[in-house]
Amino acid sequence: MTATGTVTGGALTVRGLSKAFGGVRAVDDASVEFKPGRINAIIGPNGSGKTTFFNCVTGMIRADRGTVTLDGRDVSRATPDRIARLGLGRSFQVCRVFPRMTVMENMLVGVRSTAADLWRRADDEESLERARGWLRRVGIDHLEHSEARNISYGQQKLLELAGVLMAEPRIVMLDEPAGGVNPALIGRISALVRELNAEGRTFIVVEHNMDLVMSLSDHVVVFDRGRPIAEGAPAEVQTDPRVLEAYLGV
Amino acid sequence: MRNASETTRAAAPAAERTAGNRAARPPLLRDPRRLVGVGLLVALAVVVLVFPMTTSVGYLLSTGVVILNYALMATGWNFMGGFTGYISLGHAAYFGLGAYAVAILIDRTGMSPFLALALAPLVVVVIAIPVGVAALRVRGASFVIVTIAFVLILLLVAQSWASLTGGSTGLMVPRAFQGLMRTEHHQVFYYIYVAALVLALLVWWRIDRSRFGMGLKAVREDEDKARALGVPTFRAKLIAFAWSAFFTGLAGALYALWFGDLDPVFQFSILMGAYMVLMALLGGVRELFGPLLGAIVVGLAIEFFKAEFGDTQFHLVATGLLLALVVLFMPEGVIPAVKGLFARFGPQASSIREVSAQQLLDGTQDAPDDDAPVAPGGVGRVR
Repeated sequence: MTATGTVTGGALTVRGLSKAFGGVRAVDDASVEFKPGRINAIIGPNGSGKTTFFNCVTGMIRADRGTVTLDGRDVSRATPDRIARLGLGRSFQVCRVFPRMTVMENMLVGVRSTAADLWRRADDEESLERARGWLRRVGIDHLEHSEARNISYGQQKLLELAGVLMAEPRIVMLDEPAGGVNPALIGRISALVRELNAEGRTFIVVEHNMDLVMSLSDHVVVFDRGRPIAEGAPAEVQTDPRVLEAYLGV
Repeated sequence: MRNASETTRAAAPAAERTAGNRAARPPLLRDPRRLVGVGLLVALAVVVLVFPMTTSVGYLLSTGVVILNYALMATGWNFMGGFTGYISLGHAAYFGLGAYAVAILIDRTGMSPFLALALAPLVVVVIAIPVGVAALRVRGASFVIVTIAFVLILLLVAQSWASLTGGSTGLMVPRAFQGLMRTEHHQVFYYIYVAALVLALLVWWRIDRSRFGMGLKAVREDEDKARALGVPTFRAKLIAFAWSAFFTGLAGALYALWFGDLDPVFQFSILMGAYMVLMALLGGVRELFGPLLGAIVVGLAIEFFKAEFGDTQFHLVATGLLLALVVLFMPEGVIPAVKGLFARFGPQASSIREVSAQQLLDGTQDAPDDDAPVAPGGVGRVR
């Protein structure tokens, strides 16, 4: 298999999700449906619960209440690695790669493996080829042998995305893909997201860069005080009075 | 649409790159680095195998056995510490359990010492798994403390449960080989230890290059990130922990049969656990032969200081100093430090892609090579 190929499925439904840290209700009875094949964006003011929502959905934090359904399967209580294996990949707000591994090794971590395959060589020809395909697609295949800590931040960002894709997700959740990245690279990342989406992958993107959100996404969900207050096409959301109030306090 | 052009662009260089790392590997004789590696390995094997034949001095032979015992323990420790980065200071627990398991199995059931030797490490694994299930829920300093607590618990049990363990007076272990002279006894165990060590190294090597091992190393680097990529981290850590306990327990079982007398204070000592950590760190925890090299250096040092200064605490001071020196000057261990030294003379790697002007004009090359507003590592930094 190469670094393309279409993907089907990728529906994510969240119902009544709540998570409190002490007295602070970071996510408060949030219900959102992400339809397959869309590029969804989550926006909202700082502290509106976007990242906590993200972490609850991916299993990194256990929610107090609520259900998360991934392609019809309840994953509310599943561990993060199980959720990942069921087809939900994610990036981190502050880009995370394995610093002391080479770029190629970073990619090989994401190789799907059955119990019988665990003793197979990590760098078998098939995995190497697939990894090179993804590295080529994001444009860092020449860095294969570099240690991840020695490549630039932008390159690490691309590596993180390639690594997520290596694990064959149907849904890709990106936490601030444009954070700390120069305009040329933002353009490259958004072009990639569009391509990958055209192959059937669902995207859920948390982002502060409004230009990017408006140009990239099909569907925007606006968070405020831990729950979605509005959703719809980018143009609709932009003029929604509730959104203006949440953002500008008018 | 875009995809079509994307795939054709990607297809062209694919063929030449398929060769990749492995297929393009030059033959052994023309690859100086591999040649040095293989040469060192053969030399090490010869020295290790020939050593017992060159002497009949009991003390030297027993020192050889002691060092191999350290090497087996440290290599066993490195299944956990090296792959996952979980530092256990309490691995003496499995060493002690292996030793007591052999002694009690022979003593209580009357089974053959060889059967007991085969069963003891499995007994250790059975005990280690529930301990691992509990201990591996915490990371960092908490994990270290849990492992230490377990040794101390076992020490108390071994001292108090006199009807089973012989209590503080210890336990005599029946001899496995009847009628051997002292030097022959040392020689036989020397070679048994070598075989066990080779087995441990083989398993470590196999894991190191496997998918399972890649998952473990990802845990060492960033556990949450590994989980987010689908690595079943808990299960992986538990399996590594079980292998680690197995080989450390095997060392304990062999030790019991060799030494013949168990004292709980020695079997379940924090110091023994600390030695394993020191040896592995000294040699290099990411290296197959790191713990072995560390065991040779530290083991010889301990024996030297004991011989030179008698039964004082001086060897503790000396090993403490050694640890400080390693941490200060070779934080990665001796093997990576030496390798790094050699790498300076080798060809340099660069993260800058070279392209011709034509390629740029053709647009076959559109990677943003220099795109870093924040570049922690620095663009194009040469390693």
